[in-house]
Amino acid sequence: MIYSVDTILSLVLLSILFSLGSSRLTVLFKVIAFQGVVVSIVPLIIGGREFGWGDITFTLATMTVRGIVIPFCIYFAIKKATIETKFRPIVGYNASMMGGLIFIVMAAVVGGKLHLPAVSEGKLLFPAAVTLLVAGMFLLMARRNAIAMVLGYIMMENGIYLVGTTFSVQARHIVEFGILLDILAGVMIMAVILQNIKQAFDDMDTARLRTLKE
Amino acid sequence: MMIESILFYVGAIIVAPFFSAVILKVKAFFGGKKGPPLLINYYTLIKLLKKGSVYSTSTTTIFKLGPIVSLCAVLTVLMFLPIAGVKPVFSFKGDIIFVLYLLGLGRFFTIAAAMDTASPFEGMGAAREANFPIICEASFMMILVLFYKMTGNFNLSSWFSDTQPMTLWQSAGSPLIFVVISLFIILLTENARVPVDDPATHLELTMIHEVMVLDHSGPDFAMIEFGAFMKLFFYATLIARLICPFNTGHLAVDVSVFAGAILMVYVAAGITESVMARYRMDRVSKFVMTSFALAFFATILTLEFIG
Amino acid sequence: MNLFYMSFLILFSGGILALVGQRNFALMKMLSVVSLATGCLSGLIASAQALWQEKVFQFSFTYLNHFELSYKIDSLSAFFLVVIFLISMIAVIYSYHYMDHSENALATSVHYFFFSLLIISMALVVTADNIITFMLSWEIMSLSSFFLVIFDYGKAENRKAGYLYFIFSHIGAMFIFAAFGVVYGYTSQFGFNGMAGLPDTVKMIVFVLAFIGFGSKAGVFPFHVWLPHAHPAAPSHISAVMSGVMIKTGIYGILRVYSLLDYHVSVLGMIVLVAGVISGILGVVYALGQHDLKRLLAYSSVENVGIILIGIGIGMIGVATGNPLMAILGFSGGLLHVLNHSIFKSLLFMGAGMVLHKTGTRAIDRLGGLLKRMRITGATFLIGSLAISGLPPFNGFVGEFFIYLGAFNGTLFGNTAFVAGVLAVVSLAVIGGLALACFTKVMGVVFQGEPRSRAAADKDETGNTMLFAMMILASFCIIIGVLPGIFIQMTLKGLSSVSMGYGRIPLEPFIQMTENITLAAVVFLMVLLVLLAMRTLAYRGKPVGRKGTWGCGFTQPTPKMQYTGSSYSASIVEFFRPVAPFQEHHPPVEGRFPEKTIYHSRIDDIAERHMTTIIVRPVMWMFDRLRWIQHGDIHLYIGYIFLAIVVLLFFV
Repeated sequence: MIYSVDTILSLVLLSILFSLGSSRLTVLFKVIAFQGVVVSIVPLIIGGREFGWGDITFTLATMTVRGIVIPFCIYFAIKKATIETKFRPIVGYNASMMGGLIFIVMAAVVGGKLHLPAVSEGKLLFPAAVTLLVAGMFLLMARRNAIAMVLGYIMMENGIYLVGTTFSVQARHIVEFGILLDILAGVMIMAVILQNIKQAFDDMDTARLRTLKE
Repeated sequence: MMIESILFYVGAIIVAPFFSAVILKVKAFFGGKKGPPLLINYYTLIKLLKKGSVYSTSTTTIFKLGPIVSLCAVLTVLMFLPIAGVKPVFSFKGDIIFVLYLLGLGRFFTIAAAMDTASPFEGMGAAREANFPIICEASFMMILVLFYKMTGNFNLSSWFSDTQPMTLWQSAGSPLIFVVISLFIILLTENARVPVDDPATHLELTMIHEVMVLDHSGPDFAMIEFGAFMKLFFYATLIARLICPFNTGHLAVDVSVFAGAILMVYVAAGITESVMARYRMDRVSKFVMTSFALAFFATILTLEFIG
Repeated sequence: MNLFYMSFLILFSGGILALVGQRNFALMKMLSVVSLATGCLSGLIASAQALWQEKVFQFSFTYLNHFELSYKIDSLSAFFLVVIFLISMIAVIYSYHYMDHSENALATSVHYFFFSLLIISMALVVTADNIITFMLSWEIMSLSSFFLVIFDYGKAENRKAGYLYFIFSHIGAMFIFAAFGVVYGYTSQFGFNGMAGLPDTVKMIVFVLAFIGFGSKAGVFPFHVWLPHAHPAAPSHISAVMSGVMIKTGIYGILRVYSLLDYHVSVLGMIVLVAGVISGILGVVYALGQHDLKRLLAYSSVENVGIILIGIGIGMIGVATGNPLMAILGFSGGLLHVLNHSIFKSLLFMGAGMVLHKTGTRAIDRLGGLLKRMRITGATFLIGSLAISGLPPFNGFVGEFFIYLGAFNGTLFGNTAFVAGVLAVVSLAVIGGLALACFTKVMGVVFQGEPRSRAAADKDETGNTMLFAMMILASFCIIIGVLPGIFIQMTLKGLSSVSMGYGRIPLEPFIQMTENITLAAVVFLMVLLVLLAMRTLAYRGKPVGRKGTWGCGFTQPTPKMQYTGSSYSASIVEFFRPVAPFQEHHPPVEGRFPEKTIYHSRIDDIAERHMTTIIVRPVMWMFDRLRWIQHGDIHLYIGYIFLAIVVLLFFV
């Protein structure tokens, strides 16, 4: 039987592949927004509980921050800094995409071995969470452009959030609000720093930060 | 039953050129033009058959064999294809591998015929024709793994005839959407359509398939065109059966439903051609890789669901 | 049985005759070719009988009063014997017109002597029934082929190739020795029979050691480095035998050790499968990037050994996971590919030999348009290319079809079989596509189009035995492709002595599959005939003209403008850049009246590249440190010998 959660999550997995194979920042940014929305909805629909007003408010808040505020912060950073939206990667796009497929397989294998209690309903939940995490980290490693790296970081964070969801279905709101605020602050700081880097170097290539060493 | 299969086989051969004209019509519609008549391909074939040929002095017998073998390969392939859910003329375990490799044989001879002319342009087209389908085959095989895993059978007729496509949907579910997209990408690549190749372009440097057949003329060229129509029909049939898996058991209804579905596939190809530009050559391999990634992804997902 | 003795006797006497009769070149060649061919023929008949009747022959005699040399022909040996004798016979026939330099009489006669030794030793390798016998035959095989590789010893390049081959075959032999040494250490006997009783971990070690040893002979990546050097250096019929048959003794070794160990775990199957996948894909990628015709074919051997290993790996995993159908399909597909590859690869090497013989060059980009004058060579080469690309209705397809079925069958079952199946299916598809690209390149650039240099212009084919040999092989390609039934039976009979624990293998389901292939091939050929008839009708009474190729508006085309082999493969090789470093050297065109420019491209073999840094340098460094032992003082050398004798006396 196919659960709706699984269908949504399979779209998330697909979006990860897209983000790994894409050379455009705008695509990456849309993908992140999409993932943010999905990731914040998922906790609401799994577990099969009735949800009260608290849950809904919380979900809406997360969704606003993840799906709208964070991506648009980055978006405006891109706009303001007039950064070229195509960038050269360290690991090529085809290789990244193949890597993404391998991540998914590995995540599925690991997930199958762990027998997590919450996974009973959405079989893809754990694989999707782990893939998000690993793919985000991979983006951090494999991309030169600072903005792509920030987006990779956010993707990783989405993964962490989803992992958290798989482990604890209830009583998590406070902790996660905390995390969310941290992220928000982090992203804003990064957006400011990005602008400064841009002003200083006229470029977003992190490899060039090495010249700051002296 | 055999008679029915043969009738459908012959019917498919006859209508294949008609459907290819639909793409032209759709493109003309998007361009705000009236477009050629829907029977244009028949007129072209008849015109070509009436003509003689001019052969390049560089060529050998292989050049003349090229069109025959590639047409023959496609004609044989159609015998294994369940059309409108009717059982194919022949079917055996693993026939799909034979079919894919037969298409490979056709490609070998098309390439060999192009290399025979000593033309630099045709050589370039040949190199591209050899390059892009490599990943296509891998992604097709991936789709076969999925189908095999779903049904435990291994021939085209056990997946695409009667109500079998419905069974596929029931057991595979939503990942089958990815398979459809993946198959559509394979269709575009294998049949040299936009965004992989532009059949209507005017610059030889940018062509793949069209440039390979530059030197063919007359009945030889008719055979190539005819083969191309049927190859497109082959892939379109597979997709049509997947997007429209219904089978009522009533022959007339089934055939019209199938005709509608296959028309949809051709229109989709036409729309794709109208709204997209051809990719730069080095981006094509990425496009084809997407198809492989989708097929692979769908297989993993179904593994998850089966547990 | 007597037929076997007789064939060995005739073969050996053929070699001796060659040595004795070197004064009269024509007579010597005639005598040795006839006797070698007769020897092979009688051996072929004997082994085919042995295979068909599934009888086991055994014979042994004592050597040096201490060691027992024992031989045993079971169905697996008989299968490989058929391949060995068949291809050797055709290669001998081919050599009659190929070796036509009478001024080189001495070298030619020595070559025939070693050729006979090579055939005999290959036959002995696959029949050996204990460790001593096996290693003895193995060494004779390596050495005789080494002398054949350096046949044209005048060229430094060939001597280097021979040297590399010598080192690699001995390192390989060392690993096999190590494997057998471990076996001897546990069983204390030279016979093979005790191997099934070893503890499991020991079995694992023995298999891995033997796999490396045999793999280096078979040309498995990354132990294949010698292969693309040695095979092109040898005369073409020797390349045909080496690529077609000799490297298969490595496959035989792997199968035999697997069968003797009787150890069925999926890890072993995975090792073989992954080695096969890597060799298969990289072999054909490197083949695509080559500019030398025979080197390209040598790399393609690496690819085909990869396909064979994929089949065997699927078979082993099938046994380990308890899927008899998957196991038998994988094994029989792999074995059939052994036969198929020996046929089409020797055919292709012979075609390349003809090209080399007539044009004097192996550089692909200097050839072109040969098909117009070399009709038989071109046609047989075309058939060989189609077969090696695995296309129906030729023989290459049948073996791959069986492996595909086995691999697909595996995807139905648990995790290991599924992963193995998917890996095999996808890599076979990729290998198939790349092989097609590779051989359309060879066909298109070497045989079609216009000659790219004077060397290739107006060259006719001569040498009836050469043409005859190629035609026989080409007809085998078609026969196996259309009527594979009897050949699948051969492989199944051959398999019956590989211990899989299934008892008798039922023939019917597999015969059914071959009948399907026959049906499909016949349908295809019928449609082809109908189309040919229709084409003739369509052209009746029509004007048919001949003119130059349409130059897309350019009026002064020259053959130099043709697409070359390098440009043909560039975009595909580019895709595999991470594993196949592709280097271009091309000074930019400058100024209004540009100077002549050059283009040079090269594809590096990563195994070869890293071998230097990882293995060669440390070893050199180590031996540099040990140089003090070697000082040139004869007295101390005698002292070493004395010391060694004393130590041996005390400890042994």
